[in-house]
Amino acid sequence: MSSSSVRILVVLTVLISMFGVSAAVAQDSIVVGVVMPTTGREAKPGLYQKEGIELAIKQINDKGGIFVKEKNKKLPVKEVFYDDGSDSAKSASLAERVMSSDKATAVIGGYSTALGEAESVMPDRYKIPWITPGAAATSIFKRGYKYTFGALSPILLLGQTTAEFLGSQVDQGKLKKGLKIALVVENTDHGTDYVKGIEDWIQQHPGYFTVVLNEKFDLGGTDFSGLLQKVKTSKADIFLSDAHLQDYITMQRQYLQAGLKHQVISYGARGPESDARKALGAGTDYILAALWWSDKLPYPQEQKFVSDYKAAYNRPPDSWYAATAYDAMRILAQAVEAAGSTDGSKIRDALAKAELKGSLIPGQVLKFGSNGQADYPFLVTQNKPGDKVDIVYPKDAATGPAIVPKP
Amino acid sequence: MSATDYLDLIIKSLLLAGIYAAMAVGMTVIYGVMKIVNLAHAGFLMLGAYFAYELFDRFHLDPILGAVLALPAFFLFGMLVHWLLVRWLPKSDSPTLSSLLLMFGFWLVLQNAGYKFWGNEDYSILTPRTLSSVQLGEISIPTVSLIVFAAAVISLIVLQIVFNRSWFGRSMRSLIQNPYAAKIVGVDDEKTARLTFGLGTAFAGFAGGLLAMLYSFNPDFGRPFLLRSFVIIVLGGLESVSGVAIGALVLAFVETFSVQIMPASYQPAIAFALLVVVLVLMPKGIAGLLQRKLKVT
Repeated sequence: MSSSSVRILVVLTVLISMFGVSAAVAQDSIVVGVVMPTTGREAKPGLYQKEGIELAIKQINDKGGIFVKEKNKKLPVKEVFYDDGSDSAKSASLAERVMSSDKATAVIGGYSTALGEAESVMPDRYKIPWITPGAAATSIFKRGYKYTFGALSPILLLGQTTAEFLGSQVDQGKLKKGLKIALVVENTDHGTDYVKGIEDWIQQHPGYFTVVLNEKFDLGGTDFSGLLQKVKTSKADIFLSDAHLQDYITMQRQYLQAGLKHQVISYGARGPESDARKALGAGTDYILAALWWSDKLPYPQEQKFVSDYKAAYNRPPDSWYAATAYDAMRILAQAVEAAGSTDGSKIRDALAKAELKGSLIPGQVLKFGSNGQADYPFLVTQNKPGDKVDIVYPKDAATGPAIVPKP
Repeated sequence: MSATDYLDLIIKSLLLAGIYAAMAVGMTVIYGVMKIVNLAHAGFLMLGAYFAYELFDRFHLDPILGAVLALPAFFLFGMLVHWLLVRWLPKSDSPTLSSLLLMFGFWLVLQNAGYKFWGNEDYSILTPRTLSSVQLGEISIPTVSLIVFAAAVISLIVLQIVFNRSWFGRSMRSLIQNPYAAKIVGVDDEKTARLTFGLGTAFAGFAGGLLAMLYSFNPDFGRPFLLRSFVIIVLGGLESVSGVAIGALVLAFVETFSVQIMPASYQPAIAFALLVVVLVLMPKGIAGLLQRKLKVT
């Protein structure tokens, strides 16, 4: 046999064995692709979301997997994980890779708006359902994609809820009417939606607040001194920012060092994270955050989730990140079972109709709207001295009073 | 804006320039003598931050002292890196692709080693100084930024003295001016390069320790500072210590004041724009331009 024939034979043998393996994998398990940042700028929240997904997968597999009618048996869930390094281009290519090469049945990925937007173009191309538990900008869900789902309520609602909460403090006489707001948001669709949410509420409720500064900053900044000087000269009473974790910590540190003081401070969906507490100590006290989840929610499933998470990772969940990812995996499992198939289109149809009862989120039911994005109310939390965090809004879920204005 | 606001901005710009100078000086020293654009500088900054943190966490050592101790530790580390990797690079009067690739690769190795040892956690050094500030009328001056500024000024002065007054400094300057002539008159280029790389790394480690007092950090720490360091040394003329001070001042003032007249989201683009303008109009940097003007007069 000639050497070239031997080479062709070797290549063919390898290819056949590879296809054989993937076919075997495809038959014996449900492959779920997970593309999250566990290095780079978004490493920490990305890791928490990965942990939430993996906890759900473990619990599903401990019960024998997901029953798939067309196979007439339970199939275990097999996770294929990729770290996108907080890089949008890498995030998109890894989402594509997990859909095309790894033959994922479905994909969960995209922590943060920028990375979620990058990944969101792939699902319709490959007809593979994709759920993001960490990107909530409305721009992702406006494009008419059929295979794109989001487990977070829109950022627009986050802005509106924040303004609504502030309005309630005016109604209670804790804040005066006509206070001035400085808005400083990240230069992404996330920030744009947040501003729109605030401004929409202010337009609908004239006289409550006026926006005196509306500025955007780039992600991953190291120096906000010039921007904070603008905030200072705006003479605002309320400082509202929309920032990711690292920017929140850096900006709040420089805010405190600059000696700024406002009646209310908020960094959008950031506030109670332990990293911020470690970095700034009491410097994060009284910061308000509008969140998708809190371990203070009064449902029994919350305590079970918290104890399971603690048992798995030796620490409590930090803010909301793990909870929405956990529910994203659970609703996916429910949809696969309802579809009775591992076919992407059938799972997509099942996801569109799915309702995850006993969900961790406020309202306890996770379902997707016609655009693919979930829509449930936000909670407003406030950091309090001694590493305490209370839900302060809405009133029926509150675990403590809002301390407004900030002492 | 009132006069106080302008004064506040000037002080903030000066403090920012101190931070920028501290982080860029090590890179300048290495480029000046060896013509190596040290992309691993970000990795050295990151390691310097963790060095100060570990001393603070394990031995409750003040981070300023940690940063000072980073100087000898990173000097030795830099010489080791030179002996292991850098000395094998081909000698050249200008930056080579191989040196860029080597240092970029080494940065990635350092970064991944960081992830292996410290994970992807964000670390911070919280001391009573972290959030304190000195009050000057209505102006708050962050204590930590003042310390970093002072450290940067002292570093630049010490380096200038080393450059001008020591045998080693004269060797470095002769290699910067004309490496061939320097060798002819007996300058040991290999030894000078090794010491220079050690010195540049020592200042990077020192800066990392100082920056750890200002920012949270993880193994990716240093990336945002890399471009600014590069802009500063290009602005300053690539191979002079006084140039670093000028470059840091220009970048800090332009960044801080530009935010007052344009959207803050353009701030990162300012460094790029400055880089392009200087490379086109002043290839020898602002320091070079000033030197030429002085010669003419």
